[in-house]
Amino acid sequence: MRACSAIVLAAAAHVASAATPGDAGDWPMAAHDYASTRFSPLAEITPANAPSLKLAFTFSTGVVRGHEAAPLVVGNTMFIVTPYPNVVYALDLSQPGAPMRWKFEPKPEAFAQGVACCDVVNRGLAYADGKVFVNTLDNQTIAIDAGNGKEVWRYRSGDIRNGETRTMAPLAVDGRVLVGNSGGEYGVRGWLVALDAKNGKEVWRAYSTGPDRDVLIGTDYKPFYAKERGSDLGVKSWPVDAWKVGGGTVWGWISYDPELDLVYYGTANPGPWNAEQRPGDNKFTSGLFARDARTGQARWFYQLSPHDEFDYDAVNESVLIDLEVAGKPRKVLVHPDRNGYVYVIDRASGEVLSATPFVSVNTSTGVDLATGELHYAPAKRQRAGTVVRDICPASPGGKDWQPSAYSPRTRLLYLPHQNLCQDEEAMQTGYIAGTPYVGAILKIKPGPGGRRGRVTAWDPAAAKARWVIDEDLPVWSGALATAGDLVFYGTMDGWFKAVDANSGRLVWQFKTGSGIVGQPISYRGPDGKQYVAVLSGVGGWAGAVVAGDLDTRDGSAAGGFANTMRDLKERTTKGGMLYVFALP
Amino acid sequence: MNGIHDALAPAGPQALALFHLWNAMLVVCTVVFALTMAALAIALWRAPRATERASADLDAQPRKEAALRRSVVWGIAGSSVLLLVLLFASFYADRALSALPLADAVHIDLVGHRFWWEAHYEPHDPEQTFATANELHVPVGRPVLIRLRADDVIHSFWVPSLSGKKDLIPGRESTIAVRADRVGTYRGQCAEFCGYQHAQMALVVVAETPERYERWRSLQREPAHAPSDAQQARGRELVEQTSCAMCHAIVGTRAGGRRAPDLTHVAGRGWLGAGAVANTPKLRAEWIANAQKFKPGVDMPPIDVAADDLAAISAYLGSLE
Amino acid sequence: MSSRFLELERARLLAVVAVVAAATGACQRETRDFLPPKPGAVVAGAASAAASQAEIANAAAMVGRYEHNAYGTSAGKRLWTWYNCSGCHGAGGGGGSGPALIDDVWIYGGDAGTVYQTIAYGRPNGMPAFGSRIPKDQIWQLAAYVRSMAGLASADAAPNRDDAFLTRTPESFLDPQKPETVKPSAAGGRPQ
Repeated sequence: MRACSAIVLAAAAHVASAATPGDAGDWPMAAHDYASTRFSPLAEITPANAPSLKLAFTFSTGVVRGHEAAPLVVGNTMFIVTPYPNVVYALDLSQPGAPMRWKFEPKPEAFAQGVACCDVVNRGLAYADGKVFVNTLDNQTIAIDAGNGKEVWRYRSGDIRNGETRTMAPLAVDGRVLVGNSGGEYGVRGWLVALDAKNGKEVWRAYSTGPDRDVLIGTDYKPFYAKERGSDLGVKSWPVDAWKVGGGTVWGWISYDPELDLVYYGTANPGPWNAEQRPGDNKFTSGLFARDARTGQARWFYQLSPHDEFDYDAVNESVLIDLEVAGKPRKVLVHPDRNGYVYVIDRASGEVLSATPFVSVNTSTGVDLATGELHYAPAKRQRAGTVVRDICPASPGGKDWQPSAYSPRTRLLYLPHQNLCQDEEAMQTGYIAGTPYVGAILKIKPGPGGRRGRVTAWDPAAAKARWVIDEDLPVWSGALATAGDLVFYGTMDGWFKAVDANSGRLVWQFKTGSGIVGQPISYRGPDGKQYVAVLSGVGGWAGAVVAGDLDTRDGSAAGGFANTMRDLKERTTKGGMLYVFALP
Repeated sequence: MNGIHDALAPAGPQALALFHLWNAMLVVCTVVFALTMAALAIALWRAPRATERASADLDAQPRKEAALRRSVVWGIAGSSVLLLVLLFASFYADRALSALPLADAVHIDLVGHRFWWEAHYEPHDPEQTFATANELHVPVGRPVLIRLRADDVIHSFWVPSLSGKKDLIPGRESTIAVRADRVGTYRGQCAEFCGYQHAQMALVVVAETPERYERWRSLQREPAHAPSDAQQARGRELVEQTSCAMCHAIVGTRAGGRRAPDLTHVAGRGWLGAGAVANTPKLRAEWIANAQKFKPGVDMPPIDVAADDLAAISAYLGSLE
Repeated sequence: MSSRFLELERARLLAVVAVVAAATGACQRETRDFLPPKPGAVVAGAASAAASQAEIANAAAMVGRYEHNAYGTSAGKRLWTWYNCSGCHGAGGGGGSGPALIDDVWIYGGDAGTVYQTIAYGRPNGMPAFGSRIPKDQIWQLAAYVRSMAGLASADAAPNRDDAFLTRTPESFLDPQKPETVKPSAAGGRPQ
């Protein structure tokens, strides 16, 4: 077992050598490692034996909203977090049936449910130094003793009455916990903070808009492209004071390169969606930051979607890999974005090496690699008071938050995503604190071909898809890749599937009780066997029609998803259950 | 009166072109009218009269068939020539309206609402743009390019001292370019019936010297003045926390509504309610308390607050130069 | 002969007058008041206090008036967008971060007084209290519109077109709900 793991690890050496803390059989952070590969080095389960995968145990979370989190496994304990009310469970994997070791109820304020744009989700926990870190919907970050479930410290920042919430999975890096806020649809100003993991005090805070001293742009800031250079761009690229309600929240994924000591993350869309109210590039929204992990100072920034009109947040994951580009090895990040392009970016300098569409895109015609500009298509520009039709990709993007997985064995990036377009009308909107600051009505519809979901095996070196699986419903779950050459993902009507990583051929599936929007993981149990775990419980933006009992007669409900998810209520119901599988 | 509202007092090249056209038509039509009346008078004077005993004897008139035909021919020819003259005059006036050079233009986005005008200057440039309402300041001698849109029903932009009318039609965009060549305050009016208060939808255009315009423009770019005493502070608190902020915006405060005129620099405007009341402390307080009294049917509801709260709100808004 | 003719003419005239009088006398014009029935007071202390029975009863009566007044429901429809109700409840009331309002599931009740109370005083799971920010008269109009969205208002007073992107059947074409469905229902409750 150990030797096997060692070989696999050596083969994975060209993945960014992020020292994954702890045992190779653990799943210590939502993305598995700082490079965000979501790749398990365990190879016991293969396409040959996967058909005999059986349910090992289950656990009902007691909550029936969208379960987007990834379970964590450290040693013999599994930690899971539920959607609001954000209960944290520790399960003892060494006992039959994995009984609860402890349960922590943070009791967030009920009022927070009203300002969660896209279901009351939580995307996962972080673990470091014997503590589990959880974000609550009402803007708290809590450190819990992993052994006994007692609170160690609690950090509060942000007011739900201004529409601010917290849904992302924190990231523990080098004695600090990185936390970002949510609420870009409510006129919330985005930020990322680093908290001291010992006591929860703020070490640094980087805003996504505003003057340079707030955005932590100083002498270290060396962006690759001229369009990102200048002073106080976070003010000048906005009308007066508009940056204060400008969005750019940090509700997605963070990666870390220990060699460069840089953290990489994306900022969300600018607010309001009605772009006429905010002329200018609206820095630093819809872009990727590279920051010094210790001080938070920005090293580079690249704005993927300047003056974004389509809700193309840049918060999706950035997978850190080494890639050969034009014959030379480069340290890059691969970032599949909402705007429909897979970006390969030099993670030291911020230079875009390639940007290739992975879905049908008509909102833009391409990325100019020399200047970094995204060329928008004039026919799809929003005009307040006008309905623009057949916008592709729709606002959930070519892919939303649901994270991809990278296999260093196949060298493919497995993208769980969607194929959606939309009709949209932008309109004037006022800022009323605590209410949405959007100014757009949407009706989302299937993209070309009519199948709303997709799993794409993308080859970042060749910049094209190796294989594609079409799914009827959007694939809103995360992906897991294993060294056994399997890819796991879940569908919104509850099927948990394993496909061959090389061909995409379905080798196993299991119908869980509710749609799957969570992130699957794999770990080695105390008995040495490989386990695969996923949370089932439909919800999130795509599943809100079920999770929130919404009425699909109004196509614009659930932020426009109601128009295309009318069948979801017949295909699945609410749920909240952990499923863990293993070979018999 | 809110300003000069007189198509016969042109203050810019387009109004001047229309004024010339008006004069040409007036002269021609007056002459034609005079000739026609003269001909009628002559015909009446020379007509045979009936007496008590006998009716008018038309046979006694000499036959003037030939003269009749000549009169008709001359009449038609003359009318045609005059009409052609007017046609060309109209054509050249139209050309003058659209021939305004647009170099170094001030760009304004004007949106017509029931019953007020929303204006955004330089709407595409974040470092120049600002919002105002109902009162436009323009520099003398520079063209002003206005993009016209309507939020609800058809309105029409008409500042007679500066130019002719242009409709604001929902779902469509149109543009009009004007230029003021003389300093002054010019009143405009919505010229397409839009509802109950169509008659009280005035637009004031203040043409200033370039230096004064620059001062006004940079002032508009600034966030609202901070309150300078306790009453104004209370007023701002009320504006942010009660119904004012639901519809009105004041840059630099938590009031961010966009359904009603921007109030960031409201104290610098001459009137409230699109020309309905003068912007004096007393009338301002009365307007806030019950706008329906002055302009029934406008979207602003009565604001029923205690007298000292009303005074605080009015004092705060009165400080927003 | 001529007097007979005059008699016929007079009779015809009288008949016309009678028909016109009957037709216009039976015609009830909808009134539109520019001033609210009472001064449009904001609800003092709405964030903390609870609504009194008298206030709810009064509101129910006022909302009921607006439900039969096309101007009232159309004003409510305008305010629905102006005050960002559409942001949480969907442009057409189908829901989002807030619950759907066009269905027959009411968490707290769908009668006029309860809808007023919900808007003015808020609810614990995320509905803000708007009583201190929206004049009472406008809350009544909003409540009338919300009920018209659920098919509970008079069909001829409900709005029947959208000025923006149409996302569902217009309000006046919705099937009316049964009165007993306006009670709070367990199915629509939220966890905790």
